[in-house]
Amino acid sequence: MASGLKKYLQIFKATLESVFVYRLNFVMWRVRVVMRLLTIYFFWLAVFSNSSEILGYDRRLMFTYVLGASVLGNLVMASRSIDVGGEISTGELSNKLLKPLNYFRYWFSRDLADKLVNICCAIVELSLIYLILKPPVVLPSNLSQVFIFLASGILGMLIFFYLSFFISLTTFWYVEHNGWPARFLFTILTTFVAGLVFPLDIIPTKVFAFLKFLPTTYLLFFPMQVWLGRLSTSFIIQGFVLSIFWIFSLKLLAEFLWKKGLRVYEAHGR
Amino acid sequence: MFLVFYFWFFVFKMLLKFSKYPKIWLKTSSLSLQSQLASKGASLMYIAGKLIRFGFFLWLIVRVAQNVQRISGYHLNQLVIFFLVFNLFDMLGQILFRGIYWFRADVVSGRFDLVLLKPINVLFQVLTRHTDFLDLPLFTIVLFALLKQGIYLKPLDWLLFFIIGAASLLIITAVHIFVASIGVLTTEIDHTIMIYRDLSNMARVPVDIYAKPIRLFLTFAFPVAIVMTFPAKAVMGILTFPWISFSLAVAFLFFFFSLKLWQYALTQYSSASS
Repeated sequence: MASGLKKYLQIFKATLESVFVYRLNFVMWRVRVVMRLLTIYFFWLAVFSNSSEILGYDRRLMFTYVLGASVLGNLVMASRSIDVGGEISTGELSNKLLKPLNYFRYWFSRDLADKLVNICCAIVELSLIYLILKPPVVLPSNLSQVFIFLASGILGMLIFFYLSFFISLTTFWYVEHNGWPARFLFTILTTFVAGLVFPLDIIPTKVFAFLKFLPTTYLLFFPMQVWLGRLSTSFIIQGFVLSIFWIFSLKLLAEFLWKKGLRVYEAHGR
Repeated sequence: MFLVFYFWFFVFKMLLKFSKYPKIWLKTSSLSLQSQLASKGASLMYIAGKLIRFGFFLWLIVRVAQNVQRISGYHLNQLVIFFLVFNLFDMLGQILFRGIYWFRADVVSGRFDLVLLKPINVLFQVLTRHTDFLDLPLFTIVLFALLKQGIYLKPLDWLLFFIIGAASLLIITAVHIFVASIGVLTTEIDHTIMIYRDLSNMARVPVDIYAKPIRLFLTFAFPVAIVMTFPAKAVMGILTFPWISFSLAVAFLFFFFSLKLWQYALTQYSSASS
C-alpha cells in the first residue's frame, strides 16, 4: 500500500516541478487569471455604481460571490486531465497502459498538484486584490460554515474530476482534433452553468429549478451559497446528498466508458 | 513620355507580383473550408460553443441592464451595441488570422523552415494560412443584429465607422504580428495569443466602466479600446474627431512597430531543424 501511494506521490511532485519549468509562461498564466478576475469584478462594480441591490444580491454579496467563485474556480476546475483526450488520440495512452499505474489515480495525482499551485497563487492574488481594491466582502458567521464550505468545495472538485474525465474519454470514439471539440463545448457550458460568471439564482426560476439537479451547480454555485449563508440547513443537506450522488454516478460512468473505450482503442499514431 | 511609360510598367509589374496573394489566400481558405467540412461533428460543436457563449453573455447584459437604469452612463440598447461590435471585430480577427494559434508549434517543431523556403511573403503565410469559417454563422448573426438595432446614421457617420473599423483591423493585424514575432523570439510563452484574447474580452462592455488606470492602459498601452469600443461609439455617433485622429495615429504606429519587431525576430530565428 505504501509503495502504491509512493508512486502517485512521485507523480504529484513531478507535476509540481513541471509547472515551473517555463517561468515566463507561468507568470503569463497567472496574469491571465488575474485579468479575468478583474474583468468580472469591474463589470459588477459598474453595475452596482447606481444600485444598492440587483436580482436579490447587494454589493457585498455579489462581490463576495464573483471573487469567491473565481478563486474557487481555480481550485475546482483546474485540471490536468484535459490532456487525456490528447493521449488517447495520439496513441500515447499505450505508454501509460504498460505502466503499473491506475490511470484514474495517475490523473488525480496530477490534478491535485495543479490545484495546489492554483490555490497557493490564488491566495496571493486575492490578497493583493483585496489590499488594492478593498472590495466589500461577506465572511462566514461561524466556523462550521467554513468547514461546510470546504467540504462542498472538495465534493465539487471530485465532481469536476469525473465529469472532465468523462468528456475526455469520449475521444475513444471521436479522435478528431484530440478530443478538443467536446472539451471546448464542455468548457463553455460549465463556465456559465457552474456559476463562474454570475450566480445561478438570477436565472429564471424554472430554468434554475432544472439546473439544481445538474452536477455543474455543485461545482461553484453551491459552495459559494454556503459561504454566503444563503442556504437553509435542508438545502445544504440536499446539496450534499446530490453532490455525493453525482460523484458516484459520474465515477461509475467514467469507469464504464473507460472499459468500453479500451476495447475500441486503436493507438492511432503509434 | 518615357517616365509615364515606366510608371505604368512599374504599376503593372507590382500588380503581377502581388496578384498571386489573393489567389494564394483563396486557395488556402478553400483548403481550410474543406478541412472543416470534413470533420462535421467537430465543426458543429465549435459553432454550437460559440453560439452558446454569445447567447449567455448577451442574456447576462440584458438581464442586468433591465434591472438597473444605466451602467456607466449607457442604457441597455447601447450596451448591446457595444457587445455586438466587440463580437464583430473579435471574430474578424479570428476568421482571418486563425493560423497564428498554431504558429508557435511550427516554430518549435521546425516546420517554420519550410515556410521560410517558399517564394511567398513569410508573414502573409503565417497570418493567413488558415481561415476560420466556423465563425461565419455567428458573424452573420451579429451583423444582422447590429443592422436590426436600427442604427440610423448619416453617410458621414458611416464613413467614420469604416475609417475606425479599418484602424481596428490594422491594430488587430499588428497584434497578431506581435504574437508571431514573440513566437519566433521565445518558446517560453505558450498561448501568447490568449493573452490578447483575455485583454480584448475586457472590451465586451465599454472600457469606460473600468478604473482610470485600466482604462488608460486599454486605450494607450494596449489599444483594445480603439479596436472594440471606439467603433461602437462611431456607430452610435458619439465618437469625436480628436479620438478618430488618435485612433488612426495609434493604428499606424502599432502596425509599423509590429513589422519592425517581426523583421528583428526573423534575424534572431534559429531553426529547431526539420
